[in-house]
Amino acid sequence: MKHLGLALRFLWRDSRAGELTILFLALLIAVTCSTAITVFSDRLERTMTGQAAEFLAADMVITTHAGLPELWLQKAAGLSLKQARTAEFSSVLMEHDELLLAGVKAVSANYPLRGFLKTTASDYAAEAVEHNGPAPGFAWVEKRVLSALKLKLGDTVTVGEKQLVINKIVTYEPDKQGDFYSFSPRLMMNQQDLKATGVIQPGSHVHYFYQFSGEQASLSAFKQWVKPQLNLAQRIMDIHEDRPEVGSALNRAERYLGLSTIVVVIMAGVAIAMATRRYTERHLDATAILRCLGSKQTGVLWLFVSQFIILGLITGILGCLLGWFVQEQLFTLLRNLLPQTISEPGFLATMLGLITGMTVLAGFALPPLLQLKKVSPARVLRRDLAPLPANGWLVYGIAISLVVALIWRYTEDIKLTLIVFTTGFLLLVALGIPVYCVIAIARRFLHRFELTWRFGLQGLVRNSHVTLSQLLAFTITLSAMALSITVRNELIVNWQEQLPEYAPNYFALNIFPAQLPELQSDLKTQGINGSRFYPIVRGRLTEINRMPVQKIVTKDSQGEGATHRELSLTWTENLPADNKMVAGAWWVSNQKGLVSVEQKLADSLQIKLGDRLDFIVGGQPLTATVGSIRSLKWETMRPNFYMIFSPGTLDAFPGTYLTSFYLPENHKTYLNQLVKKYPAMTVLDVDAILKQFKTIVRQLTAAIDYVLYFALIAGFTVLFSAIYSTLDRRIYETALLRAFGAQRNLLSAMHVVEFCMLGLVSGILAVILTESLLYLLYIKVLVIEYRPAWHLWYEIPVSAALTVGAAGFLSVRRFVNTPPLRVLRDF
Amino acid sequence: MQTQQERKLIVTENLTKSVKTADGFLQILSNINLQVEYGETIAVTGESGSGKSTLISLLAGLDTPTAGTITVDGFTLTRMDEDGRATLRNRLIGFVFQSFQLLQGLTALENVMLPLELRGDKHAKDTAVAFLDRVGLSGRLKHTPRQLSGGEQQRVALARAFATKPALLFADEPTGNLDSNTGAKVIDLLFELNKENNTTLILVTHDQALAHRCGRTIKLTAGRMS
Repeated sequence: MKHLGLALRFLWRDSRAGELTILFLALLIAVTCSTAITVFSDRLERTMTGQAAEFLAADMVITTHAGLPELWLQKAAGLSLKQARTAEFSSVLMEHDELLLAGVKAVSANYPLRGFLKTTASDYAAEAVEHNGPAPGFAWVEKRVLSALKLKLGDTVTVGEKQLVINKIVTYEPDKQGDFYSFSPRLMMNQQDLKATGVIQPGSHVHYFYQFSGEQASLSAFKQWVKPQLNLAQRIMDIHEDRPEVGSALNRAERYLGLSTIVVVIMAGVAIAMATRRYTERHLDATAILRCLGSKQTGVLWLFVSQFIILGLITGILGCLLGWFVQEQLFTLLRNLLPQTISEPGFLATMLGLITGMTVLAGFALPPLLQLKKVSPARVLRRDLAPLPANGWLVYGIAISLVVALIWRYTEDIKLTLIVFTTGFLLLVALGIPVYCVIAIARRFLHRFELTWRFGLQGLVRNSHVTLSQLLAFTITLSAMALSITVRNELIVNWQEQLPEYAPNYFALNIFPAQLPELQSDLKTQGINGSRFYPIVRGRLTEINRMPVQKIVTKDSQGEGATHRELSLTWTENLPADNKMVAGAWWVSNQKGLVSVEQKLADSLQIKLGDRLDFIVGGQPLTATVGSIRSLKWETMRPNFYMIFSPGTLDAFPGTYLTSFYLPENHKTYLNQLVKKYPAMTVLDVDAILKQFKTIVRQLTAAIDYVLYFALIAGFTVLFSAIYSTLDRRIYETALLRAFGAQRNLLSAMHVVEFCMLGLVSGILAVILTESLLYLLYIKVLVIEYRPAWHLWYEIPVSAALTVGAAGFLSVRRFVNTPPLRVLRDF
Repeated sequence: MQTQQERKLIVTENLTKSVKTADGFLQILSNINLQVEYGETIAVTGESGSGKSTLISLLAGLDTPTAGTITVDGFTLTRMDEDGRATLRNRLIGFVFQSFQLLQGLTALENVMLPLELRGDKHAKDTAVAFLDRVGLSGRLKHTPRQLSGGEQQRVALARAFATKPALLFADEPTGNLDSNTGAKVIDLLFELNKENNTTLILVTHDQALAHRCGRTIKLTAGRMS
């Protein structure tokens, strides 16, 4: 601490002289970015997870066919979890001599824990948001119930033995689920009336949904506690596992935010490393003087390190405040897209920006700073004495371990961390070697170039290790920027592809074969284009290779869910458009007795090609051999199937048909005509779900774009700091050449050649690095299809040559115009 | 126990320095045997490349020899580590350089205070102000090197060198960057301060007239004393 006063004085003088500007900016951007991204992601993630939880109407749900033990509910209460309960069952309603099989849902007082219900009081009234279900004695029904039973609001409806007054039409419920086929028109009632209906008897087919919400830690603790106690009929659902269409979009967005944070942090690190390098070079003389005057090696190092710590703390706090302001601004900008209440960030998220900033500073600034410790005091007499290089492994080890630790900290994903780091590192080494060789070869042929080119290239060729480090800095930066932009575009295109403008918003189920031709022609007359009509047979998977499935499935798995209920089985001649073959081959005609299984289910049940699957369909056995395994996109709002059979296999079983179609808002009245004409047909409205999903995608896109801007700002900072880090040499040489009579035009052209070449070569290296990382990211991490981005092959090198060329030229230009003596005197 | 009169300030034995070059080893200094008394003034002369700067960098502990030993004020430099030599420099040695070697970021006052602060002197500021006053720069305390002329910068360097009251002062061509008039004034000041502080002076110079102002001259030719 002896040198603290001196350190402060040095810091003050250096900052006034502009020596620390680039370092300050790089660090400020690193801290601002990491604070803004961390706090923003933290709040957005909490908000989005909260909003996504609306799909379940809770954070976690336990489904069961009977009640849960009282002890479990007490345990949840002990963990301060809020609870609600719904019971769903089918019941035949009869009014005015009309019969209707309705899906009855009895809800408890707190339902829904997350999200809301929507109701209307008439056809024309606006929808109202409801945070509780119907009061005792009342029922809310879907409009179809009213039309089917010739009822109106205010009438009574009898459920079992209990009469309820219908006072509202329910238009939206957050947790409408189950497979679409089993959907029936909804009647919602209060749980307190359930007993009076007398419908629930021992052996009744009822689904209970015990819903829980609360702090993540309590939820995890409860989940962990309850999981081992579940029996075969009980299952835990949460948002990531049970609403894949929302979960996967959320997952990818989270991964993108993680990726962008790594990109920004690494780029800021590179900028800090380059800026510190220049700082170190400019402080070699001062260090030598201090050493000459009797300062010890550690004393000198501490003098500079303490300056960096002070700078880091000041900039860190400033960056934190700025980052906080930036994310607040973003939430203000997006207030129309985001929910009314945004979750508050955690203290750790706010501090993480500062911690990240200090860590990046230590990891990237320390290696160049360590060189100062090795400055020989004899440099006061002989200026050419360069400091001894610091121990390579120590120097790079610090930065490498920090990058890995940071990436891991942010992504909490070791796979992503290792992929990005290992590939990037190996490629950089692999690309560095040929570049080094090219520089060595170029040195031999330099004399054959004309003056401008020779002078321009000389700067790059003569100091090959400096050129190489600058090239790698540019390459990392350009690649990081390209990666951010490409992944962003790909993600958004991918989402938009899943939800095209005319994505089906209705599903029609229970279409009897006899009605099929007429319905098809009716839809065609109305200009309604739908997906194909899939034949549906309901069946249960019972055995795999003659082994009962219950013995194969693991608890809580996708397989378990699929084996506990009847599946919609279909057959088709051609592979559905969204499906992709993973193993085996699609059948050719007349191959009866084959089945194609969805990949995740196959994995969960360990089903392989050639396995024998046994089903029970309407009490009759059905046997098929696994002919292929398919992957499909659950997130598309089209009919998707776990099991598709080859034509002819299901002929012996009676079935119905299913289709989906898009109906514009102004055509919705046509639906009533359809329902009247085909009373047995069930029409399922998924418009609300679609709208909700589209809102989430819009929010995610906005967030992703915002994060991308940070990556770009950080990228440009690195470009400038890398140029500045070697500016002294260029300024000195420019002044010398000016002193010898070189014309301004020659000098300008020389700099343009030098910087453009630097940009061009790093652009080419960046494309190779980007494409390799993209391939790995798409295939291994984001799990989306890899399409080579050929346009990058010319876009990156050309734009890099132009950007670096312009930036370099502009930074040196004023020195070209300054009298050479003034420049030389400063060296 | 030896008294200061009996002991020598500097003793070198077979001092040799060679460096590795692309063409093999280059001998810069060969078998230098030198003894310097307390209070002596010595001029080191020789042509460019004769090894003058290497000799003083070894004597001041700024560099290490390839062979031979150096003893300064009874301490064997060649047995000390880098930090030990740094402590010795701070306690015993002062420097004046041809290129002044002032820290650009610091003011004249801060530059003079620097070696005093490094040794933890609590009266660093008062001492520095007094020495700057002595060299005629009391009105320039807050000026940075860039705001001072060459002669003024060298006077700041003189104040910094003498402020720690060193037993031994190395001056490496102190007038090399100055015009003759300013150079003469700086040299007069250097000898005055040297006399006032009874400092041992080793001065590297090309200037024979200047060398004659010293008590003894050592001439180096191709790394050997002649």
